Amino acid sequence: MKDDLNIVGKRVVRSDSLAKVTGEARYTADLQFPNMLVAKVLRSPYPHARIVGIDVSGALKVPGVKAAISGFDSYGVKWGVFRYTQDHAMLHTDKVRYIGEDIAAVAAVDEETAIEALSQIKVDYEPLPAVYDPIESMKDGAPQIHDQYKNNINVHIHIDVGEVDKAMEKAFLVREDTFTAAGEAYAMMEPYAVVASYKNGYLDLYMPNAGPHVRAKALSNMLKLPLNRVRIRHINSGGAFGGRSEVAPGDLVASLLAIKSGRPVKLVLSREENATSSRQVHDIIATIKTGMKKDGTILAKDYKVIYDGGAYSSTGPIATSIPFYVYEECYRFPNVRYNGYRVFTNKGIRGMYGCHGRAFLAGNEAQMDVMAKELGLDPMDVRLKNGLRAGEVTATKSKITSCGLKETILAAAEKTNFKKRWAKPSKLKGVGMGCVAIMCGFPMGFRSGSSCYVKINDDGQVTLVTGLVDNGQGNESMVIQVASEVLGVPMRDINLVCADTEVTNLDPGAYSQAAAFVGANAVRVACENARKQVVSIAAEKLGVKEADIGLKDGAAYSMKDPDKKMPISWVVREAFFRGEPIVATGSFFPNIDFEREWVTRPWGQMAGTFSFGTSVAEIDIDAETGRITIPRFTSAHDCGRAINPMAVEGQMEGSIQQAGVAAITEGNLWDKGHLLNPDLLEYKVPLACDMPDMDTIIISSRDPAGPFGAKEGGLTVRMNAYSAVACALTNATGELFTELPLTPDKVMKILERKKGVK
Amino acid sequence: MKTTKVSFQINNENVTLEVRPYETLLETLRERLVLTGAKEACGMGACGACTVIVNGIPLRSCLVLTPEVEGADITTIEGLRQNGNLHPLQEAFMEKGAVQCGFCTSGMIMTAKALLDRNKKPTKKEIVRTISSNICRCTGYKKIVEAVEEAARKTR
Repeated sequence: MKDDLNIVGKRVVRSDSLAKVTGEARYTADLQFPNMLVAKVLRSPYPHARIVGIDVSGALKVPGVKAAISGFDSYGVKWGVFRYTQDHAMLHTDKVRYIGEDIAAVAAVDEETAIEALSQIKVDYEPLPAVYDPIESMKDGAPQIHDQYKNNINVHIHIDVGEVDKAMEKAFLVREDTFTAAGEAYAMMEPYAVVASYKNGYLDLYMPNAGPHVRAKALSNMLKLPLNRVRIRHINSGGAFGGRSEVAPGDLVASLLAIKSGRPVKLVLSREENATSSRQVHDIIATIKTGMKKDGTILAKDYKVIYDGGAYSSTGPIATSIPFYVYEECYRFPNVRYNGYRVFTNKGIRGMYGCHGRAFLAGNEAQMDVMAKELGLDPMDVRLKNGLRAGEVTATKSKITSCGLKETILAAAEKTNFKKRWAKPSKLKGVGMGCVAIMCGFPMGFRSGSSCYVKINDDGQVTLVTGLVDNGQGNESMVIQVASEVLGVPMRDINLVCADTEVTNLDPGAYSQAAAFVGANAVRVACENARKQVVSIAAEKLGVKEADIGLKDGAAYSMKDPDKKMPISWVVREAFFRGEPIVATGSFFPNIDFEREWVTRPWGQMAGTFSFGTSVAEIDIDAETGRITIPRFTSAHDCGRAINPMAVEGQMEGSIQQAGVAAITEGNLWDKGHLLNPDLLEYKVPLACDMPDMDTIIISSRDPAGPFGAKEGGLTVRMNAYSAVACALTNATGELFTELPLTPDKVMKILERKKGVK
Repeated sequence: MKTTKVSFQINNENVTLEVRPYETLLETLRERLVLTGAKEACGMGACGACTVIVNGIPLRSCLVLTPEVEGADITTIEGLRQNGNLHPLQEAFMEKGAVQCGFCTSGMIMTAKALLDRNKKPTKKEIVRTISSNICRCTGYKKIVEAVEEAARKTR
């Protein structure tokens, strides 16, 4: 692996930051078009009701109202990621299934008129019995939310490897525990917004999204428009964390209103609507049975995990699987059975989350510590013993090609003096370790790969065109940095056109952690192809061999005789003269087993590579109040090579906040179908004053297929930070957690349980 | 609809507007003056993304009614550049990697500016306490705190 790099690996200023610090960066709600209308949505007040009729004619009589629509104005095409999960029409005409569900909408000249018009829409509902708890929902006789899913079971993932029952019998120590966790709010700072404009048969859309191509496809199906007539345009995204991955009801609403009115339409959700009616995170109940040998070797795992899926399928099969996979990609399970059930309830729509699966992952890790203690073993040693290594294959047959798990464990442990502190915790102080692996991409059919188009202009500046998406994590800057390295052109001289379905090629999007490994790889290949063309002409003009040509600072030069040089712009002009301008494409398609299917064939290569990470939390518990504080947090992440270490640290620090500190503060609260904390006062996103001192350690493993050895940059922390906190609680109290978040009331219960008080 | 006349100075320019009596300063900034750097993320004063400086005080513009700012001197993120040069806070936010999705950035920088304007040498603790009025979902705040420290060093 080439290590004498100029730009890659450096702490560079992100290309998008100037626009963001000056307030110039445009987000969807900032857009203003001539004659633009304001849209508002009428939402269901019922958790479950039959729709007898919807009459929007009253709204149309309000002066200033230009369009009013309901599901009767749509084709009723039901969306789902998979054929077998198509159940979400976004605007339904038969039933509503959650409080806050979109039922009708208006577009008017201003917001006040739109709100007035909503009050003139008449909807006749016939309330139906509702169910809010997934366990209740699975029982015979529970209200049936969709006709086609028996017992409201949306998805059942069944994985069975080896001989679990026999292995459990042989195990020296067997333990079974159940853990629950409230779903979190994505709480991205930008509430959902969409601008739609329909002109000359073309629908243009702007919205924060993680994948414009999948979004355009879904909307073209729902609107029965040819795919090329639906164009998703580039716009800044104010955070996603998994919550902007799928087509949203607002997309359909704004599109129908724009088509009907012939004018651009802007729909901006309030913070509360963003919580109740965009997407939420699954509540989870995880029962984990583990059989261990006396030496701490895991012999078998037997899982039953129930995901509260809310009202519709969404990414159901994926969401039901991912927590299991990120764990089996980390540890060796010779025998493992996983039964994951995603169950419908009359609650809001749920999707994938960057921190998805905390009851399952934290439960596994905390249980491992209790078992280690019982066996007189150190939890770090148990993790090292069971951790996968490069060259090994996971239980469901994914090969690990590069692996820095061991290095992350050792680095995090050394930094925190973990072994000693774990063995002798001070009173109500604890230290805990969490590990996980993350797939860099996963099967998304022909959208699993990425392609880039690059041209070098006559001034020597570069234009990159790629479907890659940036939701705030720095993907745009990352690929500019990669192009700068390959082409020897400064980052400021590289323009990026991305995430626009009309001009960019397919890309997995900011989804499945594929941007660095897949998207940046395609950019690298395209730029290498352009580089060959530059080098060929420069070598000829400078009279040296091609192998002697270097590119740096916008110039081509002889490495042996650096005085021999010429600007790249001269090379480009020469290329134009020859009628062969410097243009190139490049693609990267990861090594994935496409026979793999989430439900029917859950085995085969999941992703081109995997990242690994270890977090260590140090916590203090206040005996009187049960309040946990986290003075220090250490995370080590194997990201292959950090393309921009400053950006990787930023991802890790944000993950410590969003998964680690969130483990003591964050969770959606429900009263039946009502979300009690949809706003940012009652939903506790950690503040600066809540944050621990953070140490982030980047471990380099140099993935053989990654761009300059890179893998995804930081997501492991998002899926192991809560485990570290849960394990630290176990270390401090000797007790397992049963429920996340670890708010003071729950911690007090644990302390009382420890005292033997009921 | 009844409107009310209000005059104030914004980013060193005088403006006079006819606004609805219940119009928020955030609405006026974003919709009438097309100053969209201030963001609406919660609409209830919880997050600070709409922070602007009014007479030297950082205020959540979603909680201020425009008629209340009669005669006031207002600075928004768009007014931070001086003679085309970035404010040290803007430079430091870029250099320290304190910006990710950027949706909280305007409010965060304006909150920090008001701090540096009244306290040239804030301690780390004072910085943390001050920016705890603003929510950032991406960064974990560490690089934001470092950026404010760096800007304070530079402006001294």
